[in-house]
Amino acid sequence: MASKSGKEKLIDEEQEVLQAVVLADSWNRRFRPLTTKKPRCLLPICNAPLLDWTFESLALAGVQEVFVVCRSYSELIIQAINSSKWSKPNSGMKISPILTAKETYSAGDAMRDIYTRGLVTSEDFILVHGDLVSNVRIDEVVRVHKERRRKNKDAIMTVVVKEAGVGHRTRSRGDSPIFVVDSDTSECLHYEPAFAYPKKKLAHIPREVLNEHKQVEVRYDLIDCGIDVCSSEVPSLFQDNFDYLDIRRDFVHGVLTSDLLMKNIHIYVEKDGYAARVQDTKSYESVRFTFLSRWTFPLVPTTTTQAANATSTPPARNTSPNRPPPLGTISRSAQISRHTLIGASTSIGDNSRIVASVIGANCVIGSGVVIEDSYVFEGTTVESGCTVRRSIVGSGVVVREGSEVKEGVFGGDGVVVGPGARLREFERLSVPWTRGEGEGSDEDEDSDVEDMETSQGEVDKSTLGADSNAIVWLDKPPEDDDLESPENFLNRRYMRLGASLNVTTMTMPRTPSPSPPKRTTPDSDYDSHTDASVSGRSDLGASLSSGLMADKEFRSEVRQSLERAFAEDHSVDNAAVELKTLRMASNVPLSRVREGVVSAIVEKIPVVEEAAKQRVGRSRRTIGRWGELINRIGGVDAVETVTLLQRMKENYRKTWIVGAQMIHQLDQQSSSEEESEEDDDGDDDKPAGAVSRSAEASDGDDEDDEDD
Amino acid sequence: MDIDTVQPAFQKKEFLAVLLAGFGNELLPLTSDNGDEPSPKALLPVANKPLLEYTLSWLEQSGIKDVLLIAPTIHESALHHHINSDTTASNLSIDLQTYDETHESSIGTAELLRHFAPRITEDFVLVPCDFIAPPSLPLSTLLDKYRLESTSHGAIVSTCWYPAYAPEKGILVDEWGQIPTSPALVWDPKTDSLLHVDTPDELDRNAEEYGLKMDMLSRYPRTRLSSSLQDSHVYVCHRKVLQLLAQKPRFESFRQDFIPWLCKIQYQPSKRRKYAEFISSIPNQTTYLSQSLALTHSTTPSAAAQSVATLVPLEESSTPTTTSPNSSLPPPTFKVTITIHKSEDGLALRINNLYALLEMNRVFLSAHAQSAQRVGGKATPAPQVQGGALVDPKAQISADTMLGGSTQVGERTVCKKSVIGRHCIIGRNVKIVGSILLDHCVVEDGAKLEGCILGKNTKVGSRSELARVVSCGGYEVGGGETLKGEKLDVSDWTAEVPHGNEDESTESGEENEEDDSD
Repeated sequence: MASKSGKEKLIDEEQEVLQAVVLADSWNRRFRPLTTKKPRCLLPICNAPLLDWTFESLALAGVQEVFVVCRSYSELIIQAINSSKWSKPNSGMKISPILTAKETYSAGDAMRDIYTRGLVTSEDFILVHGDLVSNVRIDEVVRVHKERRRKNKDAIMTVVVKEAGVGHRTRSRGDSPIFVVDSDTSECLHYEPAFAYPKKKLAHIPREVLNEHKQVEVRYDLIDCGIDVCSSEVPSLFQDNFDYLDIRRDFVHGVLTSDLLMKNIHIYVEKDGYAARVQDTKSYESVRFTFLSRWTFPLVPTTTTQAANATSTPPARNTSPNRPPPLGTISRSAQISRHTLIGASTSIGDNSRIVASVIGANCVIGSGVVIEDSYVFEGTTVESGCTVRRSIVGSGVVVREGSEVKEGVFGGDGVVVGPGARLREFERLSVPWTRGEGEGSDEDEDSDVEDMETSQGEVDKSTLGADSNAIVWLDKPPEDDDLESPENFLNRRYMRLGASLNVTTMTMPRTPSPSPPKRTTPDSDYDSHTDASVSGRSDLGASLSSGLMADKEFRSEVRQSLERAFAEDHSVDNAAVELKTLRMASNVPLSRVREGVVSAIVEKIPVVEEAAKQRVGRSRRTIGRWGELINRIGGVDAVETVTLLQRMKENYRKTWIVGAQMIHQLDQQSSSEEESEEDDDGDDDKPAGAVSRSAEASDGDDEDDEDD
Repeated sequence: MDIDTVQPAFQKKEFLAVLLAGFGNELLPLTSDNGDEPSPKALLPVANKPLLEYTLSWLEQSGIKDVLLIAPTIHESALHHHINSDTTASNLSIDLQTYDETHESSIGTAELLRHFAPRITEDFVLVPCDFIAPPSLPLSTLLDKYRLESTSHGAIVSTCWYPAYAPEKGILVDEWGQIPTSPALVWDPKTDSLLHVDTPDELDRNAEEYGLKMDMLSRYPRTRLSSSLQDSHVYVCHRKVLQLLAQKPRFESFRQDFIPWLCKIQYQPSKRRKYAEFISSIPNQTTYLSQSLALTHSTTPSAAAQSVATLVPLEESSTPTTTSPNSSLPPPTFKVTITIHKSEDGLALRINNLYALLEMNRVFLSAHAQSAQRVGGKATPAPQVQGGALVDPKAQISADTMLGGSTQVGERTVCKKSVIGRHCIIGRNVKIVGSILLDHCVVEDGAKLEGCILGKNTKVGSRSELARVVSCGGYEVGGGETLKGEKLDVSDWTAEVPHGNEDESTESGEENEEDDSD
């Protein structure tokens, strides 16, 4: 009899409905202001809302019942669920939205809500976030989890992680945990969060982990996929411990460090599949890239979701894009490179160039537009002559003629900029808040926008263009910055789009607007070896558009950038950052940049027939102001600079500045030899004043990455 | 001048073995002075062969020719005598150097190396006198590893760790002191780099947690952490290590201070730059650069080539005239390698506690018994009896027992699983099980010994019963006494001086682990 009942139980188990809980709120604001009008889970990734991708992932795992826990913009989410193909009767999945109270301030609160409502009826369930993209066989994880539970009732949770290098592009630098694991049982023994800022120097691993385990593995190479298989005890544990807020930092850490609970958490290292959370704009880019390169098969644009998408993504290795979408018109002279996705009914004008970007449906792209590594949501107009680079442009945005949108800019929905706008890096724009609109959203978010509105007085809006309706989101640390959380101001900088790690300096590209905090300057003890590899992989933009940008074009870019710097009197730092990003975006050697800078500075010194003294004064001023830039763009290399100057001599009759230049670069003894050599060509004496001045200056600009 | 005879002198030695022979405080009372006569640890026998012999033959098998033997002055004559006697079969040229030290004072290994640095002109192997390696772990394995890693990855120190030996609970005797604890260490199995060694200082600083540098984790994201490994104290070192030691005069112990410090430099570029001239085993930076240049332009980039290439961003390295070469040059790479001996490949052990001594003897006995069985093929193979032993025909000596030369065994005496030294006199009706008797012991009639270690010249009176007893040389146990689990020291019966001394580190580096035992 016993065996029979055992068999029955087995059948029972097989028939048990697989349930999943989707947390459709992020409880953070990394995507602002794109998320002022809709929740993050409805942001499009490859022209389909994130939530759809999440459902798709769950459907792959054979989930039958899904609860979507929503808080902000719940009516939008419900709408999206209803219109999703997964809520059709034949989809095999039952999706029910759960509206939680506005007071749900964290994932922990949501879990408590799940507990009090008694939603989870099965023994184990899948817990994911509304921003998950995955093709992992979660059913396999559930099987492993159940098997383990049969032997050990205390194994309450299995966390899905994926192996990756430290600098993998999907690995968020702002939030990358350390796992201490028993490699034989894959039991997680310790979990430690690590943020980019405040910089963590030491990982603290409790000594007691070695009491019971002879040998453990310390792993910093895992990506937390945000997929957890939980037993039904988990919500009740949240209920018992009301201070658990975050699922990882509080719950996992709390369970592992508790002396009372005696529960185990295991990890599941996924080998083949792909899973990632779109938790910040940086991972947004990386996930998008992975999609278009088809690493997530079967989750790829051509097979999934909205049929309205006219895709132009050829398989990764096919370079000739397969263009015409229905109804949209793409000019014959437009160039569309690979890794590009263009929505339905989008028209693209003459001579435009779209590189590694995603353009939503119903967009109008003018002629002569350059869009690189960017995301343009639906219904946006980009007028002729605009350049958009590595940015996210919301839906319904109008970018007027001749505007330039640079690295990391987020334009909120409905924003108008231009004509002739010059947006700074990492600028965030949105439309002003109008009362009575979007009543469903909570006050919290209102006040946020209002705050921004009230502080508009301090902002220089001249760069936005005449027709702009935008307000600028100030990039400043809040007063009550919580360094304990990854949401602290400086850490968030590491998570946004365009925040690539620079090989030479390891600094964050600095924002030109409010004075960049000094603390982001390189941590000298950071290993250069890692840095190099980090940047090599994370600098997605470079890898995508490499070779696409012609050498010539790059040179003109440098010139333009410098002309702007000269004209608008940027600081040397800002100009250097701009050049660096340019260099990275187009993947050219440093010498190219140096060449461009040197020639631009030489050109800047006017050739006029006037008294020698005046001429010396002019050159002195120019070099005093801009000479340092040569050193700033990446390493002091005097010899190369002099070589460049010499090469240029044939073109310009201005060799007399060479001496001053060199003094600026070289130390005394090496320069003296060179000077004499140069003086032969020069038609003027080396300005003595410039010598001493620049010598002083060069003292000051010693390499700033001094070690401690 | 005859060129032929001069020639060999110019042949450069590759390695010099630096053999450290200390007092062996952790083996007290076996190593305590026997009257005026010292008993050096190096001459303590395991399976009737002095420890030093194992080490010397291990060195010799690897092709090393020269040994610098460093020992306390008071051991000089004993060691000198031993080295020059016929009992050593080695052809090594041994340079015996001494330093003044007593049981009580302590000189750290790092200090000793600094002191004897002028005598070391080439790469060296630092060896303790008490490490016995199984045949599966020849020194040449470690040397080869060093040769490979030093040329390809700039390794300057190669270490060797073995699984810690933990005796079963039942064997533990409080009086014998504790088993040395193993330090926690972190290593990267992929590259065999030793990354972190926990030190008592760090334990003091944070008794709850191990602090691992994030820089280490970024560079070596998947590492292993364990505290079940023991250091063999065999270090293959580049000669620059001595210069580096000279830079750090405060370091006392090589194992406890120097190695943990060196490990950390691996992921601290600023320190690597600071000590660049001492840590790079690759001759000089310019050849290094050209090497990397060649590697980057190679058509088949290997993993090594890539790693070099990433280390040396070319546009930055081509600046020979910059003012501060230290900051512009990439920090040199270097490495502390680790070899981990697996327990299934035979027992490797440092004889740095009494349990280890017992265990090592047991292993040799069972190995002998097995080989005897294989050769003899008889059901009851003959015991290991050396020449000149007088064994009464009525005595029972089991196959896994070893008898030294000129030892007498009386009738109806039973010996099992024991090692009995030379010139011992065992009476009648004696029972010896699982014990070690050093030379010149006298066991009178009817005595029973179980799990004992008796020092030289120990006398056991008739009908006394000893279990798990350790005695110092020259100790006398009265007739009919029953002792259990004790450490017998001369000082106990000559004067009422408490035995065992606190925190005494011997020079050979074993101080680290054992000293907490008191």
